[in-house]
Amino acid sequence: MRLESDDLRGLSRRQFLRRGIAVGATAATAPLWWQLLDANAAEPAAKAAAALPDITEFLGQDQVAELLEIALSRGGEFAEAFGEYTVNTSFTLDEQQLKTAQYGVLSGVGIRVIVGDQTGYAYADEFGMPALREAAAVAAAVARQGGGRAAQKFAVSKAAPPFVLARPAPLYASEEEKIAYARRADEAARAFDKRIAQVQCLMQDTARSLLVANSEGLWATDRQFVSRLACIPTAIDGSNRQGGFGFGGGQVEADYYVKTRTPEQIGKDAAEGAVALLAAVDPKAGSYPVIIAPGWGGVLVHECFGHSLEGDGIRKKTSLRAFQFGQKVCSDVVDIWDDGTVPFSRGSFRVDDEGTPSQKNHLVEKGVLKGYLWDRLNAQLTGNRPTGNGRRNSYRDFPIPRMTNTYIAAGTDDPEALIASVKEGLYCKNLAGGSVNPADGNFSFLVREGYQIENGRLGACVKGATLTGNAAEAMLRVVGVGRDLTIEGGTGSCGKDGQSKPVGVGQPTVKFSELTVGGTQA
Amino acid sequence: MSIDAKEYQDLARAAERAVQFAQKTGASAADALVESINEFRADVHAGRLETLKQADRRGLGLRAIVDHRVAIVYTSDFREASLKDLAARAVVLARQSTPDEFADLPAGPLAQTHAEGPLALYDEKVIGLTAAQKIDMALEMEKIALGYDKRIARTDGCTVQTTEGSSHLASSHGGVLSYRGTGMGLFVNPLADDAGGRQQSGSYGSFARSLAAVETPEQVAKEAGRRAVSRIGARSVPTQNVPVILHPDIAGAWLGSFFDAFSGDNIFKNTSYLADRLGAAIASPLVTVIDDGTMPGGVATAPFDGDGLATQRNVLLDQGVCKMFVYDAYWARKAKAKSTGNAVRGYTYVPGIGNRNLYIANGTTPPEEIRKGVDKGFYMVDQGAFGYNETTGAYSYQAAGFWIEGGEIAHPVQEITVASTTLDMLKNVVKVGNDLRFNGTVNSPTLLISEMTISGAGPAGP
Repeated sequence: MRLESDDLRGLSRRQFLRRGIAVGATAATAPLWWQLLDANAAEPAAKAAAALPDITEFLGQDQVAELLEIALSRGGEFAEAFGEYTVNTSFTLDEQQLKTAQYGVLSGVGIRVIVGDQTGYAYADEFGMPALREAAAVAAAVARQGGGRAAQKFAVSKAAPPFVLARPAPLYASEEEKIAYARRADEAARAFDKRIAQVQCLMQDTARSLLVANSEGLWATDRQFVSRLACIPTAIDGSNRQGGFGFGGGQVEADYYVKTRTPEQIGKDAAEGAVALLAAVDPKAGSYPVIIAPGWGGVLVHECFGHSLEGDGIRKKTSLRAFQFGQKVCSDVVDIWDDGTVPFSRGSFRVDDEGTPSQKNHLVEKGVLKGYLWDRLNAQLTGNRPTGNGRRNSYRDFPIPRMTNTYIAAGTDDPEALIASVKEGLYCKNLAGGSVNPADGNFSFLVREGYQIENGRLGACVKGATLTGNAAEAMLRVVGVGRDLTIEGGTGSCGKDGQSKPVGVGQPTVKFSELTVGGTQA
Repeated sequence: MSIDAKEYQDLARAAERAVQFAQKTGASAADALVESINEFRADVHAGRLETLKQADRRGLGLRAIVDHRVAIVYTSDFREASLKDLAARAVVLARQSTPDEFADLPAGPLAQTHAEGPLALYDEKVIGLTAAQKIDMALEMEKIALGYDKRIARTDGCTVQTTEGSSHLASSHGGVLSYRGTGMGLFVNPLADDAGGRQQSGSYGSFARSLAAVETPEQVAKEAGRRAVSRIGARSVPTQNVPVILHPDIAGAWLGSFFDAFSGDNIFKNTSYLADRLGAAIASPLVTVIDDGTMPGGVATAPFDGDGLATQRNVLLDQGVCKMFVYDAYWARKAKAKSTGNAVRGYTYVPGIGNRNLYIANGTTPPEEIRKGVDKGFYMVDQGAFGYNETTGAYSYQAAGFWIEGGEIAHPVQEITVASTTLDMLKNVVKVGNDLRFNGTVNSPTLLISEMTISGAGPAGP
């Protein structure tokens, strides 16, 4: 057994966003499994749809009602059952061999009981009623007095899904196709340059069927399908080794890897980045103008802003933003949204993990703070309404306020003109990830691939620059916002309190008058 | 909720059954890992219990090999029918894979490894704590943290956690191995008010296998309070090259990152910057790095690794010389090396190479003496989450800490980065503290690096 508490070590608690994937770590989703077991499968597509059972096959309304009754029996004011059936698959190609094929199921039910501001939580890794009754009783024990209030009759949620996948990739791409995608990305990376010496490719997907039911009569289900193909090449030239990263995916159709982003593009992009870094220079240390490329660069707004607007930190006043509502927190050109409905993004859903429909929330308008991200409990305790941001890693975790797809809205600047306006600075093409300590606001971003800007033109490739600053003022230094908004919904995973969630981030080209850039050239 | 003997046997039997089903459906070899964990977590806030979480969780991961093709499957459903279904899926999936001549299980039946008793993995006293006692510990810890200084007005996280679990590994070559362990952790993050509506945080936690080894709520709270208050008034400094003292937390985080360069898969594939450095002096003679899976009471101690082989005490760097790399059974076979007992595995993930109790050996200089020897420099105590490049060893982290002038702390510092490369840092270790303690899995004493680049406000200093 691995004891999972290294997060208790001394470093400040950080919330982070990573794009990458730990090779060998638990993966994502799932497919045509059943078809393989049935040699006579004549119509693979039709069969495939059955590959993700619906959670309601395991949990009926009568059973859930009984669990909620037990959960409320000690005096709880609110009870909720969260059921989940998740299928993960992953294929890892390494040294041009399929090193691992993995398939797994996580299934069970979490029971939450709330009394006042106190929460009891328990779960069972199964759907058998004896274990579920015990979990409900354990969760109920947080309340210590009073008789149970009755749960209301269930009304099925009518929330509209933000988009519907006809043939979700996890279910409708066959195993053979998924393995072939990984191989093709590998081949494209190797073909790009003979210095690409090693390549790892991961094809991962997750198919998730979930149910949220609570004592206020909510009964909501959702089905979520996330797919991702990542390519991680190493370019080697003598003792000079550089890594690259390319990816594609999201909540996408099975033909995404044919029509939208091919394995060849993913492999080539990854290899191109690694090869460019072979000739890269070290960054110049100091504070100077920085331009961040569109798309994944939105990791910046996620860290600098998003986390500090989450309702737990607002209610407990542990976030500096708790005191800034209505105040100017960014420069005038900055508008920030969190939108759980962005089509095809990993961060989107029909209902959040508390059953609240996804919605689009305006957080900062013309530089002024006007919204927070609320889960149910924190919203209720502060007299606000849930904003569809109550999310949890799985049935083993209670929900906490989280981002969905967070982005800076399109501005009016010409991206080329923004670069041309910098005499000496850094253009950040490719960020590896970022983190923030929400209490003190100190953030950092690792730039995997950047370019020097000299007299308004892009110059030498720069490797390994770390950007830092304090969230309290960094966004006041935004002096230009491009027209070229891109939301990257294909690869982000956000970590908070030990729970990981898929998210999207986005931004247009953004210019900062000054950020501190770490480097070895003082 | 102590694991009873029957349940313990049932879990081991589930691992054996999964292996048998895999063999019956066509696997040439298989092993199965069953993990069961009872987790308890209490969070308090503002003097009240905030959340109470208790549950038993378990799972089974099956590795099936069909003619040198591997598949890995997992489930949390232990019913006989489910295990049969899972085994069949593993075999179908393995047949999809490509043959790999090195894919195999370690030869021979699983053999008894280390005796459990001397490893001190299990503490009845942790199990004996009631929920009420643990909640009281958390409340006490928060109260002491809040009382530490009047500028500390709130906490963002105050947690007491205990775990109890068991691991069981069965192999088609015969045999089943089991062990059980406990863990306990205390954590608090007090926030101190700083000027201009800003705050400073002072997270601190203690984690160990036994009640005797974990710090008391008072010790954790006071250390966390001290950290929060000490950072009040932090500011940036100009860009420059100076000596940097790495606090044990920071040195440990760095060690945890560069361990990867010793990993046998990266060595074999030539993707590690240490690939051709075996036997070479790559670090200051003051630096010795040890990875020990057998250390009594260690959080990452276990009698056997993910392949079922005995864990070991491995000296990776001996007085600066690169002595060995670490392997699991697969990469050892491939690289014609021997497994070093470094296979790590959880039931949901693919077995791979990882560290155990990893540390830099204790030095001889008291940390205060290290500080007094620095005329002008930076003492780094906190860092961002990203900043290490696993391919090149480049090091560039957002940092917080203290400025040192004339051997004394001048003022707290934030909004800077600290940069170098791992190979330069290893060479430039000029002092090693005598303050090594074991808290969690990766640890180090205080280190002094002779020169690193600080990037901060404004251009390079004079």
